[in-house]
Amino acid sequence: MSLTVNDVWYTYQEGTPNESNALQGINLTINKGEFLGIVGHTGSGKSTLIQHLNGLLKPSKGQVLVDGLELHSKENKKSLREIRMKVGIVFQYPEYQLFEETVEKDIAFGPKNLGLEEKEIKQRVKKAMKLMNLDYQALKDVSPFDLSGGQKRKVAIAGVLAMEPEYLILDEPAAGLDPKGREEFLELINHLHKEGLTVIMVSHSMDDIARYAQRMVVLHQGKLVLEGKPQEVFTHVEELESMGLSVPTLTKLLHALKAKGLPVNTELIEIQQIKAEILRALQERKGEAHA
Amino acid sequence: MLKDITIGQYLVGNSFLHKLDPRTKIIGVLLYMIALFTVNNFIGMGAMIVVSAFFVLLSQIPLNYFLKGLKPIVLIVMLTVVLQIFMTPGEVLWQWGFLKITDMGLRQAGFMGTRLVLLVSITSILTLTTTPIALTDGIESLLKPFQKIGVPAHELAMMMTIALRFIPTLIEETEKIMQAQAARGADFESGNLMERGKAMIPLLVPLFLSAFKRADELAIAMEARCYHGGENRTRLKPLQYTAKDRVALLALLLMLALAWATRMV
Ligand SMILES: Nc1ncnc2c1ncn2[C@@H]1O[C@H](COP(=O)(O)OP(=O)(O)OP(=O)(O)O)[C@@H](O)[C@H]1O
Ligand SMILES: [Mg+2]
Repeated sequence: MSLTVNDVWYTYQEGTPNESNALQGINLTINKGEFLGIVGHTGSGKSTLIQHLNGLLKPSKGQVLVDGLELHSKENKKSLREIRMKVGIVFQYPEYQLFEETVEKDIAFGPKNLGLEEKEIKQRVKKAMKLMNLDYQALKDVSPFDLSGGQKRKVAIAGVLAMEPEYLILDEPAAGLDPKGREEFLELINHLHKEGLTVIMVSHSMDDIARYAQRMVVLHQGKLVLEGKPQEVFTHVEELESMGLSVPTLTKLLHALKAKGLPVNTELIEIQQIKAEILRALQERKGEAHA
Repeated sequence: MLKDITIGQYLVGNSFLHKLDPRTKIIGVLLYMIALFTVNNFIGMGAMIVVSAFFVLLSQIPLNYFLKGLKPIVLIVMLTVVLQIFMTPGEVLWQWGFLKITDMGLRQAGFMGTRLVLLVSITSILTLTTTPIALTDGIESLLKPFQKIGVPAHELAMMMTIALRFIPTLIEETEKIMQAQAARGADFESGNLMERGKAMIPLLVPLFLSAFKRADELAIAMEARCYHGGENRTRLKPLQYTAKDRVALLALLLMLALAWATRMV
């Protein structure tokens, strides 16, 4: 069970002077249950790629398979909608998609489109709100436009969760939130992953990717250039910097210490482990100095 | 999809037409339109087509890009042509039930169809070779003389600039919201008229909200930078008439005169 991207190419505004090759031969497999991070400079094609994952865009060339079923193939044209329901997308600034009079109605929009029964819809709305840390009783009859920015975003994500997708794609979910809001948000998403959802997160923040993703891919000018566990990818410091990307602050610190001659393991991610590693290296050096 | 709309878009270039003063181009388009509705025979119409084709060449706009811009009007042109063919009285050439084709009908249909296509072509050439700012500056300058009789030239021009500036933004926004709702299972394409109308609500509510928000923000940003209307405003690039413009204008006037002349043929 997986999402598979097979040699996908995509060109915007084909045949016009403004033509742009946003994706150039992307190959990627996303396994059920994993937490994948997607990073890349502005305009590298991240948003274009994720729109292919649930068939909102049709590849100019190549295919996308959801659990083995091809999106946009001639045979299962009808099932595009059904396949699409398996893959939920939360766009950048999802609060702009809110439109209903009440929070409950807005979250119910997706399940209603699935053709579910009233009772089931209500169940799902409650569950989705709980997952997003929203109080059902207090908020269900409130207009979504009266909420704060962070709450609006939670409602918008609940609207996608209520469709109970198996894969959840998030484009910059924490953009534009204050540090505390960010933290809470990312923890909620991490919790969803722990509950069994496959999470694909696009982010500009290497620190966030380092903390949460199990695997990451780096896009550059429409091509997939690096792939692997975050700690592996972050060893390519120079390559990343040449693409206008940075490495997490702590990785930078480790590299700087190593350059100064302190023999530390630069592949660590966890802050506690890094602290221990630096202390260990310092102790060792002290020992050597005494000897 | 929505991005295919080219009417009102500007294509960066360095052609003769790009370099003309916007006022020359606006007057030129008006003269061309008058000529287009003046000519009433095949020679004249043929000449108008040639002139239009010459402008396309002169503008250096890629031909396929230009033709793509004409696509949205195909339906309107066909409708006009069909209506003209069957509705114009004249000598009957062919009849089937109440449908009849007349010689005048064929002629009218051909003329109206050609006129429509040329009309859209010439306006596309204008907007494709003129930046929105230059266009509104030109309009403002041409409307100046009418200010005395109460035409708010500057305000009209400013409104046009803003409207033109926000068309692409709104199109982009529409696409984004459509995608977000489609991801939630919204269906914009099937169903009867009522259902489709209803399906537009999830699109229109967020779109209007964001448009109002943008308008609000823009107004505040303009006021914060001390915008106060047309009085005493100076320009970064004042409009300037050059020898090129005189030549172009003369040529266009000549064209109009010839168009009148063809009526006598
Ligand atoms: N609707 C569109 N029409 C034309 N070109 C587009 C369109 N959307 C994106 N592009 C182009 O495709 C390329 C990839 O864009 P994309 O939005 O996928 O980048 P991104 O990695 O998501 O960037 P960001 O980090 O800014 O969100 C860019 O060069 C962009 O200019
Ligand atoms: Mg993006």
